[in-house]
Amino acid sequence: MSSNKDILPPELIKDRGSLHPINHMKDSIMSLLVSFGFEVVDGPEIETEEFNFDMLNIKKTHPARQMHDTFYVEKKSNLLRTHTSPVQIRGMLEKKPPLAFISGGKVYRKDDDATHLPMFHQIEGIFVNENVSFAQLKDLIYKIIYSLFSESVQLRFRPSYFPFTEPSAEVDILSKEGKWIEILGCGLVNPIVLENCNINSNKYSGLAFGLGIERIAMLKHGITDIREFYKSNLDFLSQFK
Amino acid sequence: MKIAYSHLVSHIQDSPTLEMVSDSLFQLGHEHEIEGNIFNMEFTPNRGDCLSVNGLLRDLSVFYNINHDQKVYTEKLDELQIDFENLSQDICPHISFLKLEVDDIPHTYKGCLNDYFVDLNLNKNNFFTDISNYISYETGQPTHCYDANKVNGKLIFQELNTNQEFETLLDKKINLTDKNSVFLLNNEVINLAGVVGGKSTSCSSETKTVLVECAFFKPEKIIGKSVKYDIQSEASHKFERSVDPACHETVIRRFIHLVSEYSNIKKMSFVSYNFGNIKAHKIPVDVSKINQIIGINLSEDEYLSYLLKLGFTIENSFITVPSYRSDIETQNDLAEEVARVIGYNNIQKKELSIPKGNISSNNDIENKLRYFLLDQGFYEVVNSPFVNSCSDTSSIRVDNPLDSNREYLRTNLISSLLDNLIYNERRQKDSIKLFEISDIYTLKDNQIDRIRRLSIIASGRVGHNYEDFSKKINLDYLTKLFKKSLPGENFDFQILNRDQTKTKIKNEIIGCEVDISNFSTDVINYKEISKCPDTFVQYRPISELPFSQRDLSFSIKDHTKCKFLEKFILEYDDELLKKVFIFDYFYNEKNTEIKIGFRFVFQSTDTTITEMQVNNVMDAIIEFTKKIDGISIPGLN
Repeated sequence: MSSNKDILPPELIKDRGSLHPINHMKDSIMSLLVSFGFEVVDGPEIETEEFNFDMLNIKKTHPARQMHDTFYVEKKSNLLRTHTSPVQIRGMLEKKPPLAFISGGKVYRKDDDATHLPMFHQIEGIFVNENVSFAQLKDLIYKIIYSLFSESVQLRFRPSYFPFTEPSAEVDILSKEGKWIEILGCGLVNPIVLENCNINSNKYSGLAFGLGIERIAMLKHGITDIREFYKSNLDFLSQFK
Repeated sequence: MKIAYSHLVSHIQDSPTLEMVSDSLFQLGHEHEIEGNIFNMEFTPNRGDCLSVNGLLRDLSVFYNINHDQKVYTEKLDELQIDFENLSQDICPHISFLKLEVDDIPHTYKGCLNDYFVDLNLNKNNFFTDISNYISYETGQPTHCYDANKVNGKLIFQELNTNQEFETLLDKKINLTDKNSVFLLNNEVINLAGVVGGKSTSCSSETKTVLVECAFFKPEKIIGKSVKYDIQSEASHKFERSVDPACHETVIRRFIHLVSEYSNIKKMSFVSYNFGNIKAHKIPVDVSKINQIIGINLSEDEYLSYLLKLGFTIENSFITVPSYRSDIETQNDLAEEVARVIGYNNIQKKELSIPKGNISSNNDIENKLRYFLLDQGFYEVVNSPFVNSCSDTSSIRVDNPLDSNREYLRTNLISSLLDNLIYNERRQKDSIKLFEISDIYTLKDNQIDRIRRLSIIASGRVGHNYEDFSKKINLDYLTKLFKKSLPGENFDFQILNRDQTKTKIKNEIIGCEVDISNFSTDVINYKEISKCPDTFVQYRPISELPFSQRDLSFSIKDHTKCKFLEKFILEYDDELLKKVFIFDYFYNEKNTEIKIGFRFVFQSTDTTITEMQVNNVMDAIIEFTKKIDGISIPGLN
């Protein structure tokens, strides 16, 4: 038979918690962008029409401003920001170029179905300096996507339309199943936006990009239903330790 | 919008394949799905000019030679005498009318008109409406056809503050409210401008005399109307994105030509009203600016050749924007045109270097708190801010909530966490520890106040290991746990009222909610154990089905077998066995016997698990362990 020295109790496994996978993804991307030289700026989720739309060259008549797309609060005096771009407007009004900001957080749109939620998360970045070009924007986007996925991932740029960038592009990556998946939107900052922020658009130009954190997290973790993120089910959360 | 490949390629000399056209469209920024031989196009909102066969051909002309072979009526047209008054000329600065009478109404179509209905699998309506729909598909300009015999009286266009019922030509009755741009006949609304015509003046299969209206409406006056009145309208989709204000006569002459292919035209006359000039937008030629924006080195000749192909004209060092391109205003817009033609994917990237910015330390306290809580076994959650009731006058009300259950913004985080806790208790979770960090927005002196808060909630077992399994979370336990690690911080834990949870579970619920700004030194000094994982685990779909538990205890006299047993059970693999852990361990020094208890949790992903399924797995485990010398299962015969 054995002696007392053979007795080693079982390992005492301490239950550890986990970060929410969206916040984990946000932290990872923000850290990556900070390593590229971007500075983190923060702003409120309740915004004015001026910062959320006007300053970003989104015209009064743009469909996004309609009550069926944007949540307004307190008798239309304010709104829930529909993107994180107003934070960059605030940043550009505060500081002079060259400047490089990122902001991340919750944004709100009046959607609620299997693939869209009224609350989701975005990260946006902006870099303003002299002679910033679309070719440099491409370089940055390649760096971001290669870091997030791998250098073997295939990506493509498509012309798109955002009122606050011109030229504008959407970027897709090719999935293992051979399907192009939209990853982010980007472009050169529309000179009107720079002028709105008292930046001389004849001297300075800028690049901007924005990505949806849920989309990236779903791809990285293999999650197919966006609603899983916000059920707070411990069986779900405990998988992300 | 659906556009048939054959309708495009019939005008392209080079006869590109469907795949070649598809690639060209993607390069130009026209996203689409291919459905058989149909391109299901999804245009960006700035490209209203592409919402037609001709619009796409204009863009494709940078890659292919296009045949401009659509025939139009070329003879002189008599002037239409019509009793029309435009009382809102700023909204409708350009409008034309054609009155046309035919001998007979055709019953079958041929050529492009027939292809349109057959290839796109569309239902026919009546002759003139069918021509109108085809014209819109081909040219991008919606026209509206009135039965001319029903338009007796003065026709007025006006933006009106209306509150009246209007029956559309689709037999739908809508209540027009607030400001609407309408056409009136004898003070009755006969057309919701740019959206849908009315039933009272609509064409039928008997109509032989038609009044065709061809107009330009300011997009901002049309936007939102089809959504407001729940009307599917291709016309409004086009007017909202702007149409070509200078196309009326060409469109009308094309309309006449198509009618003439089917019937003898007895009479026709035309009038065009321009209440404002169509100003050509001019931009200076500046190829160096274009090169700087894109980051390329293009010659001026090459640059201008691209623009010429897209329909721009160049004169005296100025580029004139075609009337259908209302989206082009600046050098950046022109740069995008050039980039599209070159192909975004063909533009070489150039090294970008960003000077290192200031590293923000604002989130240090927050991140330290998060990792401290992870070390204590807490899971981070993220909740929606929308709630169904206002807790007090400081609650912010959403003007246009998704539903009445989401009418206000929450004024605290703990209520959301309590919902999360109940959700997990209902899923048989016996140890629940959650936290959330978020902004809270409230009204303070009529101003919006923003506070960053941390909220924590916990209930049930302290943990699942054999030391914590029998301990319950209570106020004393949590207070001491947090005081021990962060003695200077005040979490102010409270016992929460369980009455509203409507569950039979009696465990105490402990929670707190604290402003992040209240934390300081102790949090910053905390040496966290947890680290953010640098890999992203592959998610396994979770099951909403009930689970089943079994406990199995062993007496071990031969201590050398203990690790073998642990390894066998903890690594036991079965698709129904979701989790197994040691919940009890005791060494009896008197009789040198070890007692060890394992808990098995079973759950299926597709069916409710049965007793038999669980017993089968347990029997296999028991059978194996019975064969190990020095190990017994108390109570087992």
